[in-house]
Amino acid sequence: MPEIDRREFLKLVGASAGAAAAAGCSEPVEKLIPYVIQPEEITPGIPVYYASTCQECPAGCGLLVKTREGRPIKLEGNPSHPINRGSLCARGQAAIGRTYHPDRYPGPQRRNQAGQLEPVSWDEAIRLLARKVQEAGPGTWLLSGEPGPTAGRWIDRWLTAVGAGGRVVHEPFAPEAVREATSAVFGVASEPLFDLSDTDLVLDFASDFLEIGPSPVEHGRQLAAARDVAAARGRTARLVSVGPRLSMTASNADEWVSARPGSEGLLALAVARAALDAGAGSPEARQALAGLLEHFAPERVAGQTGVDAATIVRLGRAAARARHAVALPPGVSVTARRAKASAAAVLLLNHLLGAVGRSVRIPPAPAEGRRRPSYRETLALVDAMKSSKVKLLLVADANPLYSLPVASGFAAALEKVPFVVSFASAADETSARAHLILPDHTPLESWGDAAPRLGVRSLLQPTVRPLHDTRAFVDTLLDVGRAMGSEVAAKLPPGSFRNLLEEAWADTDWRTALAGGGVFEGASPAPSLPLTPGATRLEVAEPLLEGDGEWVLLPVTSGLLYDGRGANLPWLQEVPDPVTKVAWQSWAEISHATAGRLGVELGDVLAVETPAGRLEVPAFPRGGIRDDVIGVPIGQGHTVGRYASDAEHGRPDAPRGVNVIQVLPAATDEAGGRAWLAARARVQKTGRFQRVAVVQTSQNQRKRRLGEAVSLAALAAGDAHAPAANGHGEAAAETHGDGHEHELLKPYDAAKDSAPDSPYRWGMAIDLDRCTSCNACVVACYVENNVPVVGETRTLQARQMSWLRLERWVGDGDLEGGRKLPIGAKEAPGAVDVRHTPQLCQHCGAAPCEPVCPVLATYHTPEGLNGMIYNRCVGTRYCSNNCPYKVRRFSYFDYSRENWPGLLSLMLNPDVTVRGQGVMEKCTFCVQRIAAARHTATLEGRTIRDGEVTTACAQACPTQAITFGNLKDEKSRVVQASHDPVRSYHALHELNTRPAITYLAKVKRGVFEEEA
Amino acid sequence: MTPPPPPPASVAAMIRPMPAPADSRANRDILAVMGRPTIGYVALLALVVSTVGWALGTFVYQTYVGLGVAGYSHPIFWGVYIVTFVFWVGIAHAGTLISAILYLFRAKWRNAINRSAEAMTVFAVATAGLFPLIHLGRVFKFYWLLPYPNQRALWVNFKSPLLWDVFAISTYATISIVFFYVGLVPDLAIARDRATGWRKVLYSILALGWQGTTKQWKAHNRTVLHLSGLATPLVLSVHSVVSWDFASSIVPGWHATIFAPYFVAGAIFSGFAMVLTVMIPVRRIYGLERYITDYHFENMSRFILLTSLIVGYAYATEYFVAWYSGVEPERTAFWLRAFGSYWISTWIMISCNAFFPQVFWFKRARTHIPTVFVVSVLVNIGMWFERYVIIVGSLSREYNPAVWGQYTPSWVELSILAGSFAWFSMFFLIFLKLFPVIAINEVKELEIHERAHANGGAH
Amino acid sequence: MASRARWRPSRRALGLLGASALVTASLLALPGPEPVGAQGQSSAAAREAQTLAGDESAPGPKQPIPFSHALHAGTYQIECLYCHTGTDRSMAAGVPSVESCMGCHSQFGADLEGVQILQRYWDEKKPIEWVQIHRLPEHVQFPHHRHVKAGVACQTCHGPVQEMHKVYLVPDTKWWPWGTPARKLEMGWCISCHRENEATQDCFACHY
Repeated sequence: MPEIDRREFLKLVGASAGAAAAAGCSEPVEKLIPYVIQPEEITPGIPVYYASTCQECPAGCGLLVKTREGRPIKLEGNPSHPINRGSLCARGQAAIGRTYHPDRYPGPQRRNQAGQLEPVSWDEAIRLLARKVQEAGPGTWLLSGEPGPTAGRWIDRWLTAVGAGGRVVHEPFAPEAVREATSAVFGVASEPLFDLSDTDLVLDFASDFLEIGPSPVEHGRQLAAARDVAAARGRTARLVSVGPRLSMTASNADEWVSARPGSEGLLALAVARAALDAGAGSPEARQALAGLLEHFAPERVAGQTGVDAATIVRLGRAAARARHAVALPPGVSVTARRAKASAAAVLLLNHLLGAVGRSVRIPPAPAEGRRRPSYRETLALVDAMKSSKVKLLLVADANPLYSLPVASGFAAALEKVPFVVSFASAADETSARAHLILPDHTPLESWGDAAPRLGVRSLLQPTVRPLHDTRAFVDTLLDVGRAMGSEVAAKLPPGSFRNLLEEAWADTDWRTALAGGGVFEGASPAPSLPLTPGATRLEVAEPLLEGDGEWVLLPVTSGLLYDGRGANLPWLQEVPDPVTKVAWQSWAEISHATAGRLGVELGDVLAVETPAGRLEVPAFPRGGIRDDVIGVPIGQGHTVGRYASDAEHGRPDAPRGVNVIQVLPAATDEAGGRAWLAARARVQKTGRFQRVAVVQTSQNQRKRRLGEAVSLAALAAGDAHAPAANGHGEAAAETHGDGHEHELLKPYDAAKDSAPDSPYRWGMAIDLDRCTSCNACVVACYVENNVPVVGETRTLQARQMSWLRLERWVGDGDLEGGRKLPIGAKEAPGAVDVRHTPQLCQHCGAAPCEPVCPVLATYHTPEGLNGMIYNRCVGTRYCSNNCPYKVRRFSYFDYSRENWPGLLSLMLNPDVTVRGQGVMEKCTFCVQRIAAARHTATLEGRTIRDGEVTTACAQACPTQAITFGNLKDEKSRVVQASHDPVRSYHALHELNTRPAITYLAKVKRGVFEEEA
Repeated sequence: MTPPPPPPASVAAMIRPMPAPADSRANRDILAVMGRPTIGYVALLALVVSTVGWALGTFVYQTYVGLGVAGYSHPIFWGVYIVTFVFWVGIAHAGTLISAILYLFRAKWRNAINRSAEAMTVFAVATAGLFPLIHLGRVFKFYWLLPYPNQRALWVNFKSPLLWDVFAISTYATISIVFFYVGLVPDLAIARDRATGWRKVLYSILALGWQGTTKQWKAHNRTVLHLSGLATPLVLSVHSVVSWDFASSIVPGWHATIFAPYFVAGAIFSGFAMVLTVMIPVRRIYGLERYITDYHFENMSRFILLTSLIVGYAYATEYFVAWYSGVEPERTAFWLRAFGSYWISTWIMISCNAFFPQVFWFKRARTHIPTVFVVSVLVNIGMWFERYVIIVGSLSREYNPAVWGQYTPSWVELSILAGSFAWFSMFFLIFLKLFPVIAINEVKELEIHERAHANGGAH
Repeated sequence: MASRARWRPSRRALGLLGASALVTASLLALPGPEPVGAQGQSSAAAREAQTLAGDESAPGPKQPIPFSHALHAGTYQIECLYCHTGTDRSMAAGVPSVESCMGCHSQFGADLEGVQILQRYWDEKKPIEWVQIHRLPEHVQFPHHRHVKAGVACQTCHGPVQEMHKVYLVPDTKWWPWGTPARKLEMGWCISCHRENEATQDCFACHY
């Protein structure tokens, strides 16, 4: 595949443009290649949007796929989709890479005698598989992720038709415990839906709901709505996060209750008890739970949970006082042997607090026969494989070899299976062991549907012609069936999966559904369900853990890599972890006390040993983790994949980082769900050292005005926390003794910062109280602006190219440290004061970078932007030296050469220049979007309307923390937002750079005070 | 013909006698330096030339692959190259100072060393001038830094200190070359009269038909006088402008009003040190003790002591102002300079520049040549590190602690740094063989004074 | 500027009319301005135009098809935007698809060598690889629609295409009051026009 000149695609639109740039000489003859037949909806240079559905996690967010000349170039949220309402998380943003991924299988492959993969024709492959299925018969098993309803239905039909053994759905993060608990407590085997938008107290029992789900984008939005201080001053929801570690979710909480992992159930009941004592709950509920709660007096539970009774009582009373409290059940990393009981306990708490039927909705169980993810069944299948009962294993949309514990013996069992077929579209650990590979389309090339929840049915449609010789999974199965002879074929429908899909949607208007991305019903009032008789019969106790190690091994869930499926997407590796700010690597979080006892510092490699295995990983000491816990993130340690493995250092088969799953026992909870929190670990110092790629060198802002916060009290009192900082407040106009206004104290005047005759001064308001540091904006920026991904080595050299980064500040900081980098931050249980500051070019009115450029490559545009003209830049880099925010990047190498290998270059945004070697680059406020809007507006003889143009970051943000617009338009949303008299401030205002970005200080809600 | 009566010393400097007899010892001794190169000389020349070649290679490599091969890392975007640039600009100050200012002040002792000092000035500027280009991200576009008419109708940014540099350096280069050459002319004439072969041709052209007539001498002196007048402000201006590269920014540790005098003093300081570092061996090797006497070296040591005090005072002031300002980023920046990860560089700078030169309070140290040599070398090292600390140290601890950085030079940068020294020495070595290393006429002028004094003439 | 007037997009409708009239005329095999028969002989003019367009010695690169703009845009007066659709709606100027060429040429011109080549492309469903003549550097964003809507004649940048059998970059040079002359499609060349017409001179307008 020759490198593709981006511009080719802008002008020349054909499918075969690849061939066009083939001329390798210095002066290539540029070809204009028109369509043979031009689809009427495509006009070269004008993007076309298609609605689809995100497949990165079970949340099922709606997509708008932006295509140019028939190529998807960006994924955006579908505004009309009820789950994500136009936002899209980091994983969703990065998902576009799957389609253009260099690791994709070019077509069907089979393994020859030598064990090498060799191409094979589809017909041949299908005949082969047909034969194998015939031979294997009931020995045929399918192991897959959770398919869409239609696909699932036809897969089951196919399995029966060909007389296969059956299938198992393997979703590592599936909340099985919660499902079982719901059926135990309410008699309905379904996952409860939580709506946080109308709550005033959220008790989060280590659910990690902002990182991985059940529906991170939706819950992020709802939390922001519930906490919105602008809506009703003071009356703002509080988030209390219980857990062993100050996770990203906890970092956004108002209070972190550091509880023993696995003791969430106990704590929930104790809190319930305290709430009961404080008079919470309806008489029936109180009466129903009184018996159970007797045994869970805070004093008794305190010891087991590691949370002192006072705190429990305090929380209980707060919950009782709360107008509308809700509790979220434990998440993946703390699902222990008794996860079901813990989840049940939390549901009972919700019941007591009267949340069920309000913000907790128990949807009816899915239709009978619809297979749900089951870890127990997965393990059963593994056993069957071990005892050679499985003759033919089909693996689709799953990577069990990575995501199942070594202890489960899957690897060995796989050896026992005579023939393994993988339907993976790109290489992964499991497909690397398969005998036959029949690559599926990627979601952007596929038809399909999803039913993420009651009342939401959404569709997938192909947005690009398959780039490789791939086939839809279900179509492959159908063809196999047909190839097995007429009697099998008779049991199968004619036509392709697409037809089946259309039939399945016959009850709707297909075209509108397709155009809108699906069919979305308004939410019906949630039914309040009675408890089942046995609801209160719970064995809630401390978790059972294997091993005699001193530390509890906590598998930390990553909002970026998810269960490891994100590891081969470059952006998800490049973007640092929101809490530790480590990129491309694995680390072991330990408390400072632990570090002191082991005598280790950041980067000292630890040996972590459990009964299931041993791994070596560098230490990351921090305040935000319990002394009795060691946390290792899930997702790294792949041995296959250009970006997932250590290919960067020439070792494509070696893991980069560690896969913590390998040292977890294959344990299940009492209901057969997967237990992640199952082992204690022995930890030793190995004496080796590994440099940790920490992108943010300090989370201590040394009292500098970067990330600010105001207390609720100050907010209520309405006193501006930083008169000078805030460019808008009344205090801003105060004058000096001599009467004339001090420059620093003059109120911000947008008019000063753009040409008098220009109707625009582009600006931004960023609400730190909404930002959860989910990284959606960062990845969106990478994709929109062709920002190169530089890899681990260059990340270690502090050479990342991100135009927008999230800075995490713990409190105001202090003046300590600085000799050794990175500087630790003071995290501690109790009131949480973590500020997440999206840092990007501030487009200053008085930009320090502008006067120092000798060639005027950076300058102030008439519309108030801080322009950066790459092709004028000679690379003196003075602009960056003089930028106090340090948001300018330098292209050290010619990234356009190597950083978009193979087809990845097809996803470059044709409206943004790919920067050459040796120039500065930085955030442009997505000037390409502004330009497009300006063209439209001018052609229609008007100015750009408010909201007509927005930046990629603002668009992606789940919590709407970022508002972009015209500061010269008094009615614009951005001006309204930034006119907050109390919270608005400019970063490092004392330098008087007059930034276009106004930050709104985070609100410190603090812990609940004891009522007198 | 009989030699004219010796003129009074006061006017001796203005009106010169006819050249001394051809067999003057000065002529022989000084021109002897230009004689057949020894093995040692050739070896040394070969070494420096090959080093220059190597550095050239690395530069080509850097230009092709990208500046990423240098040690730059966000946010430290100025490193060894700019450090070395400022260093060499500093070195370039001794020559003009000695030639111009001391000339105007009639400091006789300058005569023995001004020629080599001027030569060094020229070579140092030639070296320094390279680095602003070497450090460019797109060096092949360097000409965009010059205001020239172009089809894009684009202009340069006269507000940028980097542009002021372009003018300051080029002006300084021009003046110092002219100065060097004008001073050279009479001696070239002498060399011409003795040389044969291609040298004869070369000198004949360069000597501009110098006959040594009184008329020519008058013209020559007037030129020198005026050039001195022109050059004197440059000594102050050039490094002031260079210092504004930093002072006019908002970087904590750069944004200081004392930078101009501070840099100028430092420049003279390092310039004199370099003259000593070079001239002591030269004098030794070519046995020029009769012309370049310990008395010269002692005076220069005095100068070094003086400037060292100024520089030391500047350091103190910097820290005081940082503390007194009460601006936290300033304070932090300076605190971490001394006690942060760059503490070694900082203490090298302080000890080499402010402490060691204090030995020159003692006459024994000033007259003990090995000591003088060692101190001069230390000062050169110290001054290089001063710039390193100011530039790299400040950039790595700026306003946003989230992106504080750490910088270590790469092998490419170090090669090019070594190359710069080789480049400088290469020119100097060639100069030794091509031109009289000491201003013969001025030395002879001294001889004449001595004679005058001996005859109990003028007084 | 007569040419500008003639090529003002407001005349587009007329151009379309002309073209369609031409098609119908040819279908009915009526004697049109340039009589061409459905199966019959193409006009001498057409054949000559084709030879000229294929002329190796003529300036401009060799194109896969000896297509004469002079014939289509000149003689037949077919409006630019009739084939280069979307140019008035999009940043990019569209290159007509093989299909749109065949739209007319399935009707006539079958005896012309060029049309036969076209036919082959069409049969093989392969796109035509035209050699690009007017090319801006990668770091320049040129909004065609803005210029078309502003009434800038296509000829202003592309030269009198309607008179060229074989298209080539017609050299043009703008002279500054000071500074060096700017050749066609060089930045100074664009800027001088922007100055005359008081259009934006903001760098960010084209470079981002």
